[in-house]
Amino acid sequence: MEGIVLNEKNVRLNVKAETWEEAIRIGGQLLVDNGCAKPSYVDGIIRSVKEYGPYIIISKGFAIPHTRPEDGAVKIGFSLITLDKPVYFDGDEEPVKVMICFAATDSKTHLDILKMIVEFVEKGYIEPISSMHTLAELHALVDSE
Amino acid sequence: MKILMVCGNGLGSSFACQMTVEGVLKELGVKADLDHCDLSSARSMKADLILSGKNFESQFKNLAIETPQIFLDRLVDKNEIREKLTPFLKEKGLI
Repeated sequence: MEGIVLNEKNVRLNVKAETWEEAIRIGGQLLVDNGCAKPSYVDGIIRSVKEYGPYIIISKGFAIPHTRPEDGAVKIGFSLITLDKPVYFDGDEEPVKVMICFAATDSKTHLDILKMIVEFVEKGYIEPISSMHTLAELHALVDSE
Repeated sequence: MKILMVCGNGLGSSFACQMTVEGVLKELGVKADLDHCDLSSARSMKADLILSGKNFESQFKNLAIETPQIFLDRLVDKNEIREKLTPFLKEKGLI
């Protein structure tokens, strides 16, 4: 996966969050900390979920929180978090265990991040990632090809 | 033939869906133009088919778009996409 780096700056495993909103704030804050988004972007993600429903859950147990660039995206980037306890979204029966938040500056150029997201789903990585404890385990899985 | 994937912001879920659809069509040997956009742009985009998430179904009703629509439980589920897309492609004589 070219151009995609998973490191201690953008990955947090077994994060404790009581609600989906709290989980998104944690994943979104990583985007802010890494200079990819302004705090308003995180508010935008939450607003977007409330407005449109949990369509960011694109596969079982897996959500990709994001919003429009104009809500405060600074540059392309992502964060990956796993939840210690899965969180439920209103309107979806299955809880989410893994989240990849991302910031995009337009509707096309974040192709690499979307490719990673789709690859994780198609290769069945979400379930194993959800029970990992270390970044090394994550690298062992993702870099294995 | 043009297929349009639609979601709330038109850049994440719909884009991921587009990639999965691309994979399914490749397996089926069908060539199509694929694109993605947000709900408010969907009306002005020309397409033969719209794919979107189930949670958008009621919003599509309000938009009264004439293009045929397929709604998915999961936007990146190859099996669901293949299952729901196949009848449409057969009807169009593409497979």
